[in-house]
Amino acid sequence: MQHAFRLGDAEHNVALSRSATAYRLHLKDGRELPTDLRTAADGRTWLTLGEQRVEVIIAVQGDDIFIHLDGEAHRLRYLHPLERLAAQSAGGADDIVRAPMPGSIVSVNVAEGEPVSKGQLLLVMESMKMETTISAPRDGVVQRIAHEKGQIFDRDAVLISLEPVVRQESDT
Amino acid sequence: MSRILPDISHWPFDTVLVANRGEIAVRVLRSVQKLGLRGVVVYHAADRNTLALQIADQAVEITGSTPVAAYLDGEQILAAARASGAGAIHPGYGFLSENAAFARAVEAAGLAFIGPRPEQIELMGDKIRARNFVEREGFPVAPSAIEDDDPATFNERARKVGAPLLIKPSAGGGGKGMRIVRDLSLLDAEIERARSEGLRYFGDGRLYAERYIECPRHIEVQVLGDGQGGVVHVFERECSVQRRFQKIVEETPSPALDEALRQRICETAAGIARANGYRNAGTVEFIFGQGGEFYFLEMNTRLQVEHPVTEEITGIDLVVEQLRIAAGEVLGYGQEAVRTEGHAIELRIYAEDSDSGYTPTTGPILRLQPPQGEGVRWDSGVLQGGEVTAAFDPMIAKLIVRGRDRSEAIARADQALADTVLLGCKTNTAFLRRLIRHPAFIAGDVHTGFLDANPQIATDPPLADRTLHALLAVAALSTRPVRDGADAVPDLHAALGAWRN
Repeated sequence: MQHAFRLGDAEHNVALSRSATAYRLHLKDGRELPTDLRTAADGRTWLTLGEQRVEVIIAVQGDDIFIHLDGEAHRLRYLHPLERLAAQSAGGADDIVRAPMPGSIVSVNVAEGEPVSKGQLLLVMESMKMETTISAPRDGVVQRIAHEKGQIFDRDAVLISLEPVVRQESDT
Repeated sequence: MSRILPDISHWPFDTVLVANRGEIAVRVLRSVQKLGLRGVVVYHAADRNTLALQIADQAVEITGSTPVAAYLDGEQILAAARASGAGAIHPGYGFLSENAAFARAVEAAGLAFIGPRPEQIELMGDKIRARNFVEREGFPVAPSAIEDDDPATFNERARKVGAPLLIKPSAGGGGKGMRIVRDLSLLDAEIERARSEGLRYFGDGRLYAERYIECPRHIEVQVLGDGQGGVVHVFERECSVQRRFQKIVEETPSPALDEALRQRICETAAGIARANGYRNAGTVEFIFGQGGEFYFLEMNTRLQVEHPVTEEITGIDLVVEQLRIAAGEVLGYGQEAVRTEGHAIELRIYAEDSDSGYTPTTGPILRLQPPQGEGVRWDSGVLQGGEVTAAFDPMIAKLIVRGRDRSEAIARADQALADTVLLGCKTNTAFLRRLIRHPAFIAGDVHTGFLDANPQIATDPPLADRTLHALLAVAALSTRPVRDGADAVPDLHAALGAWRN
């Protein structure tokens, strides 16, 4: 069965199967590479993949897999098949304004229920000792303001949501 | 100079409270305890799981509307000092370290403030007064316009200094609220923005504007003064590699200085400290033009983030010196006793994503394995199992490497960065490796705009297929549903003994 991992902005499909001694990794180009991951008695973990044998340090939290390989840290995220399906049919990304980086709210310049037009200043946030303005992605009505002045938030936190657009027949 | 530890038996304090957090709290506590003094630290609940609390002899909780507010609450910190029997307060850097009112309150409470006299903080903490003082004493300053001189004509006078201009809050520091104006038609708007930021960060909207030196280097000089006539410089640090006006790599000696220039800039710094009878460790910062000209930028009246590189090449423990001075001791040595050997580089490890504009990252510290090896020093306050939050500055550790010369230091830094394991929160270690391998860095040919001029250094390069496949294999083998799926359909030839869940 195909599985998908996100690495940075890209999604990668792979499959894994048993072999006589360990596993096989099936790449999307059709290649199959024998592979295994073993922790030695000294606690060090080694990956074998085809001809490669490399030391790796791994930390897993939920669906995130953090890997230190060859002097660099990487993060992959396992994409559950059902979630992928849901994400493809959701749409409406413009309804939600997310934080581009962690920070805190300097000022909220609109109120819930207020109509806004595309490009209008919604709020001012602060991060890295700099102010950043967040503007409306489209015309709409503010549904919910998630944070008050002074509150802190993480990257990708929902800052403001707009009421979903209801498709209407033209008035004329 | 002598490395014998001072005799603390006659000191006016035997317990020192550290009014700070993170790596600097740990750094100060280490020297406090090395001398046989008791070390107390204050902490906000957000910092409960940090190294400073583990090593401190006592930890006192402080509260606040935000975690940062707790560390800025001088009254609570003084109460913690009284409750814990501390006779001295070390403010670290940031927070209350350059707050004259706090220094005064500490002294009024009968405690020693491990820092300068309050008047010296006031003088140097106000960029305008500091600049005027330095100019009056005959040291070099850059052309500028100061709002306070005549607020009504400030915009006009700033315009006259000419583009490019650098606008800064006069009460500022650390790059907060600083703006470069190249197009003078935007001057009025930029002044308003800088004023708003100055008001918010420092409660003071006064500004000053100065000629922006194109492609400048940032060179600073460490000084030590005992407030009793003794002043030495402890040589320079080159801090030109910056992003968003904040230093990320510092080194000493500076590759830009020859012996004569080194002596001139270091003696200028010592002269400025001597002119105000300076007490404490301090740093005189200079802006250094490509032609070798330099101007006074500001003086920081505290321990500096990058102080370890100075310690590494001189063998002087700057925190011990601060403690001795605060205890009333004289320096006890002259300039000729301050010697250097080798080269040291500090790399600031930030929780940030250089590939998306150096934006801060947050996350748990699932795995932490500091680098080791000859000449490697790791100053950090975070622990495995801890978390990087948006509550504080994203600097989580400092990697300091020493070598016989610059190229050995760079090679050791590269290896140490590769050996630094921190999983759970993206850091800038891969970026730092690309940076120190860049030909311009290797040649020592950098300026404060270097990273802006070379944005490709910040960009994560595409992964080699070999690396990508290895990562996918590890991920697949470490993910339960993937592995279970494979195990559920065993190869016809699979031996039962190969099951290893």
